[in-house]
This record gives sequence, structure tokens and C-alpha cells, in this order.
Amino acid sequence: MDFYLALLQVIGIHALIGLSAYVVILTGQVSLAQAGFFAIGAYVAGMLTVLAGWHLIPALLAAGLVAGAVAFLVGFPALRVKGLMLVVATTAFGEAVRLFFFNFDYQVAKGGVRVGPLGGEGFKQIRFFPENGYTTLDVLVFIWVVVGVVMALLWWMDRSRAGAVLRAVGEDELAAQAMGIDLTAVKVAAMTAGGVIAGFGGAIYAHYTTHIEHFNFGIVLATFAIAYPILGGLSTAFGTVVAVLFIQGLLIEGLRFLGDWRNLLFGALIVLAMNLRPHGLLDAATTLRLRRLFGRGGAGRDA
Amino acid sequence: MMIDFLQSLVDGVLVGTTYSLIGIGFTLIFGVMHKINLSYASASVGGAYCGLLLVGAAGGKSALLVFLMAAAAAGVIGYVVYLTCFRFIPASHPLGTLMSTVGMLLLIDEIVVHATFGVPVAYPPLYEGPSIELGELYIRPDYLMVFAVGIAAMTVLTLLLYRSRLGLATRAVSQQPVAAQLCGIALYRVNAATFVVTGVLGGIAGAMIGASVGMLSPLLVLPLTVKGLIVTVIGGLGSIPGAIVAGLMVGGFENVLQYYRGVTERDLYVMLLLFVFLVFRPGGLFAAKSERN
Repeated sequence: MDFYLALLQVIGIHALIGLSAYVVILTGQVSLAQAGFFAIGAYVAGMLTVLAGWHLIPALLAAGLVAGAVAFLVGFPALRVKGLMLVVATTAFGEAVRLFFFNFDYQVAKGGVRVGPLGGEGFKQIRFFPENGYTTLDVLVFIWVVVGVVMALLWWMDRSRAGAVLRAVGEDELAAQAMGIDLTAVKVAAMTAGGVIAGFGGAIYAHYTTHIEHFNFGIVLATFAIAYPILGGLSTAFGTVVAVLFIQGLLIEGLRFLGDWRNLLFGALIVLAMNLRPHGLLDAATTLRLRRLFGRGGAGRDA
Repeated sequence: MMIDFLQSLVDGVLVGTTYSLIGIGFTLIFGVMHKINLSYASASVGGAYCGLLLVGAAGGKSALLVFLMAAAAAGVIGYVVYLTCFRFIPASHPLGTLMSTVGMLLLIDEIVVHATFGVPVAYPPLYEGPSIELGELYIRPDYLMVFAVGIAAMTVLTLLLYRSRLGLATRAVSQQPVAAQLCGIALYRVNAATFVVTGVLGGIAGAMIGASVGMLSPLLVLPLTVKGLIVTVIGGLGSIPGAIVAGLMVGGFENVLQYYRGVTERDLYVMLLLFVFLVFRPGGLFAAKSERN
């Protein structure tokens, strides 16, 4: 049972980083910086609960704010470029953040033990959950409450004017600009929102593993972050969660019985999925069909 | 002090040739298809592995044979990447091919890990001999050889692009795919040929990296991908001379900083260099003059 609870925890955390990339991809920008924001969130929240003795919830919010602020600052220079250039710029930013934490020492003696981030050895003993007697189930509920709140906000945003604006920029920048949309403001706003969500994810991740190291936040994580929304499809935020279930649940855990062959199939199945469903698992047509099935949103609304 | 600086600069620039070759591969595919092929560096290293393992299986030991096999194998891998990641995914959907090439990167990496049981393998040097001394400066002959092979590969590529019918077709497709097709150019065949040519180039780069490091490991793939992309951007997207100069520059720059600041901080400064370029010269060193996207 504990195994499935742990799996659901991982899925929740990955859903957060996937959703953070989803917001940015809606505007047509591919950002590989999400792992960097995730790392910032993880270190900030960890330092606040361990070194400053904060409760996790304010630490979580602070982590989101700091990661969001960094995303806001990075957004301005990075979003001047697009396409491949943006991929490279954001990759470089993510790597720079990782390398910063690789060289980052800030240790304080607490109760005879030195705690805090220590360069390449990482940041150990982020023990908020065990110290406060959280069971696996409690942690799971905590994670999914955060995921639920973020999903609800995104769902609401998607149905409001803001969602339409984001998608307009993603579909055709020139047309959106002609409609009087300020491209930079929209892109930077999306980047900031993505940064905040990734910060939340990082904060939870740090407390879930209790030990973070710089290589947890490398390009692989950044690639996974953009893989979820692309694989899941961009028509709703649920696509991202479906993709997280597909990758973490099916490809990683479901194929575990294959042993070493699983890793081989992993890449091959992603290639296959993109060939068969280039617009994602939950693409616009499927979403529409599902909506009809559940009797909402008639032909008139989405046609 | 000065001599140490010069020494690290020279070593770095010589090894930077491999970055140039990887950068050219990214830039060429981007120029022709307007797509990123993220699996390129892993295909290159994969090709280098194939060369080594195939020649080893046949009982050969010649480093030259390994190099040729690596180039040929990487060409084949390039074609497979084209078929699986680009050919059947709609061209209007760049995110789809981005993701499929990521899948391919993971797949090739895993195949390599499987074939070598995750252990790094020793790679034969192309040339062994005494160091060349220029005053107080030592030039390692294997590095010099890497540099020479790299320059030769780039020269052949330039001739191919500017002096052959295939090159003409490639440049036509990169300018205007629809117009090129109207002129009777077989679009898919030219695209596939571009992947084979860049694959061969990548195989040479992969083998040279193996030769200059002395061994190959799948761990080389991700740093190489990042460096290749950085070189592409600093050089200017789609510019081959840009990729060459930027590759040598990044190679020299990182080696000098490794000397002064150590290996853990080295890449941080390479990223900063990239940001400087993005802010002050977003088009890169040799930016294309016309914007036709």
C-alpha cells in the first residue's frame, strides 16, 4: 500500500512541475528553466523550515514567491528571443542555477549538528514532515491539496479572459499583437506564474525527499517538465496530469517488471506516442469528444 | 602565469573543434528544417560507440578504421532519427518533433548503456607522439590531430554545401521549402540527406571526443548537447562559420576558466557568456541578415 501512496506522491510533485511548464507553453514558449525554479523553491523552502524554523506552509508560499520573482526577472531578457534561442537560453539559466547550488555553502550549527546546504554534498535533513509526525498519507494529502489548488486556479484561468490571451499569443503572436495584446507582458506573466508553481513543487519535493542535491535539478528534470504538457496535449491542464500518470505511473512503475529493458522502452514509447498522437494524448479533438460525452459544451461553443 | 593562461587557451581551442562540429550539426538541421534535433549529440556519441564496438567485434584495432566506422554508423543513425522523429510528425507542430527527439536521446543513451553495461570504454587516440614545443608552450599531438580532422571535416562540408547539387538543393530547401519543391526538389529526400550528412559529421565529432578524452561514456551526452546548443546560439542560428568560431571560442573560454576557477564553476561562466550574448547580441556572432521566418 505504501508503495502506491509513494507513487502518488511522486505523481503529485511531477504534476506541479509539469503544470508550471504548461502555463509557459500555452504562450508558445518552450522553457527548460522550470528545473531551475524548482531548485530555487526547494532550497528556499528547505532553508526556511530548517534554518529559520518556519512552518511548511509559509515556507511553501515564500518559495513560490522567490521562484516567481526570479522567473519574472529572467523572463525579461530571456523572452526577447524565441524558438530554439529560448530553449538554449532557458537551458543555460537552469544549468546556471544548478551550478550555483553546486557551489553554494551556508551551514549553521543547530543542536550540535551543522545543517544547511553544503555544495556538492547537498542539503540534508530537511525533516519537517517526520519531526511533525506526518504519516505517508498525510504527506500525500498535503501534496494533492496543493496540486488541487493549482489545478483549480489554472482551470479557472483557462476559462477566463487571461486563458484566451495566453492561447492567442501561443497560436499566433502577430495576430495577437494586432489585437492589442502586449506580448512581453503576457509572456513574462506566464513565466512568472510558471515560476511560482515550480517553486511550490520544489518546496514540496525538498520536504518529501528530506535530502536535495544539485543533480536532482538538471536538464533531465527540465526535459520531463516540458514533456508532460507536450505529451499530454495543451487543450486542458488535465492533459498534463494524464501525461504524468502515463510517464510516472505506466512507463516508469508499470514497466518495472521488464527490468533493464524498461529504460529502453521508455524512450521508444515517447517517440511512438509523438508519432501516433503528435498533438498530445488529450488533444483538442479528444477533449471535445469527452466534453460531449459528459454532456457539457455543445458543438456551438467549441466549433 | 601568462604561459599557463596561453597553454589552457591553446588546449581549449584545439578541443573546441568538437564543439564546433556538434554546433554545425544543430545549425544545419535548424537551417534546413527549422526544427531542433535534441538527439543529435547522443546520436553522435552513439555513432562513436558503434564504430568502436563494430571494429572491436571484427577483431580490428586500427584507430582510423574506428573513425571511419563511427562516421558511417552515425550517418545511419541520422537517417533513423529522421524517419522516426521528423518524417511523420506534422511540420507545423514544432513541439512534437522536440519531444520525439528527446525520446530518441533517451533511447540512444539507454542502448549505449545496455551495450556497454554502463561502464566507460577506452577510445583509441588517432595519433600518438611526442608533444610539440613552441617556446614554453606544449601542444599535445592528439589535440592537434583532433583539430586537423575537425578542420578537414568542415572543409569537406563547406565544399559539399556550396559546390554540389545536393548542397544547392539543401540551401534551396532551407530558404523556401515550398518553392524548392515547386522547382522539382524532392523535399523528403533532401531532408533525409541533411540528416545523414550531419550524422556523419556528428560521428566524426563523437570519435574525436572519445579520442581526446581517451574514453567514451554516456555521461558525455548531456553536457555536449548543452555546449552544442550554446555554440549554435553564440555563433548565430543557421550560420556555419559562426558555429565554427563560437565552438573554438567556447572551448578556449571554458578551459581558461577551468584553470582559474576550477571544474565545478567552469560551466557557470559559459552560461554567463551565453547570457551576455543573448542580451547584447541576440542574433549571435554571424547573424543572418534577412529575417524570413
